[in-house]
Amino acid sequence: MTDLTTQPVRNPFADRTVDVANARRRIHPWRVAVGILLALVTVQIVLFLVTNERFEWPVVAEYLFNPTVLMGLAVSLMLTAVGMVLGSLLGTGLAAGQLSDFAPLRWACIIFVGVFRGVPPLVQLIFWYNLAYLLPRLAVGVPFGPELFSWPTNDLITPLTAAIIGLSLHEAAYMAEIIRAGILSVDSGQRDAAAAMGFSRWHSFSRVVLPQAMRVIIPPTGSQVIALMKGTSLVSVIAMGDLLHSVQVIYNRTYEVVPMLIVAVIWYLVVVTALTIVQRRVERHFSRGMSRTAVARRTVERAEASA
Amino acid sequence: MNDQGSESLTPVLQVVGLRKSYGDHLALDGVDLEVHAREVVAVLGPSGSGKSTLVRCIDQLESVQGGAMYLDGELLGYERHRDGIRPLTDADVQRQRRRMGMVFQQFNLFPHWTVLRNITEAPIKVHGVSPAEAKERAMELLLRVGLADKADAHPRQLSGGQQQRVAIARAVATRPRILLFDEPTSSLDPELVDEVLQVMKDLAESGMTMIVVTHELEFARHVADRCVFMADGQVIEDRPSAEFFDRPESTRLRTFLTRTSAAPAGGLV
Repeated sequence: MTDLTTQPVRNPFADRTVDVANARRRIHPWRVAVGILLALVTVQIVLFLVTNERFEWPVVAEYLFNPTVLMGLAVSLMLTAVGMVLGSLLGTGLAAGQLSDFAPLRWACIIFVGVFRGVPPLVQLIFWYNLAYLLPRLAVGVPFGPELFSWPTNDLITPLTAAIIGLSLHEAAYMAEIIRAGILSVDSGQRDAAAAMGFSRWHSFSRVVLPQAMRVIIPPTGSQVIALMKGTSLVSVIAMGDLLHSVQVIYNRTYEVVPMLIVAVIWYLVVVTALTIVQRRVERHFSRGMSRTAVARRTVERAEASA
Repeated sequence: MNDQGSESLTPVLQVVGLRKSYGDHLALDGVDLEVHAREVVAVLGPSGSGKSTLVRCIDQLESVQGGAMYLDGELLGYERHRDGIRPLTDADVQRQRRRMGMVFQQFNLFPHWTVLRNITEAPIKVHGVSPAEAKERAMELLLRVGLADKADAHPRQLSGGQQQRVAIARAVATRPRILLFDEPTSSLDPELVDEVLQVMKDLAESGMTMIVVTHELEFARHVADRCVFMADGQVIEDRPSAEFFDRPESTRLRTFLTRTSAAPAGGLV
């Protein structure tokens, strides 16, 4: 209290000796403590990674660009792309169905989304893979009537088709919710105006509502792509040759479990980081569009005010 | 414009005993209205009187629970089926809507399209007009509403008054039989109201058939041929404009007129 050096400066009018530009940096004790702690943890982790020989970094380096691993990576990327495209298409239909004024269709879509969003994707994959147990043959025909074509289920349900069906349906349920939220974010006056001009429902949906809903749909869709990319690792349980499965095949032979998992981790991190960068760009693009119109509006208003 | 001979016989729009309810609330309770070709009808009334609901029902943006509406003698929204009537298909409803134009309180321009595309989309995609012809007519209309230099602007870059003038051009571009205005100046700043009313007055003078739901008494008195006063979902008075303002019959209209004209111009919302 009596320490004069910590007293507030009382009379700034006295002379021009006080200038905040010359202020000293203030020391924040807690930041110092946390900083030291983080530095210690970082050193510890680096030492662990470098000194623990069980990581077997030479093995990691040897297998990082192994053809089997790269093939597995390609399969994972392919499953992500196919799952996202099919999921978005089906999800758009489900979102439109959930907003339909025909109650049976609306309920069918709501129940579909509820089921496929509620059942864990791992369970769905195993289920689709074992579809032949329930349905030995798959047939196309008239319900309760004659069959036109039929195939043994085991010929159709391979690890690939089971993986695509499982991931796409799960993705569709999530995309349906995202797209539905996007559609609901568009002002109802837009639909009124489209209807008043005689647009068909499809024209109104695809040209008026959906493009405006995109602003709300795009950001969470980016997160979905990333989640799906990581989710593809689940297909290894049905022996689909994705990135995780390809390293498993190798370590089952060489018993170098940890180095091979590190190989997979590196590739997952590379792809997810790349996707995150793309997502940030897309988000910034959309928010920039918003602010640019705001700027333009202000310019117009200013021009009008001065006119 | 079209068949001048028959216009005195069949009204462009005929509303007979129209009923509309939201749950227990009767928004329209037996509304009758006739609008003939080249006629401008203003619909006035306190808020909640059902006047906006009326034009929304005419454009089939809302379902109705009773009565009937005819556009050029054709039943709106329903068709004869066996010994009764049944609702039309979506496609037929859209065909009927294409013969009407609507201007909304909130403009409802499509913000992701330029002004020009807002105006040309319906003529090209719905009415099958060639793009070149649609663009030429759109530019003509933009000139008429004083916005020829804004063809490539986006709606958000325009003031409210400018947006509403574009919305009027958009509604006129499809050459509708009748134009419906749902409180076109109610969400505008007071100083922007007149530029929109002027465009509507020009349209009226060019012979457009119009129903205008509005709070602008001056506009109703000087531009409309007839004024309709609505309250509680019913038409209370429906008379030529001069009589409507100078010799109101019902006490409700008299109270409405004194109360509304006492408010400063442009301050009525």
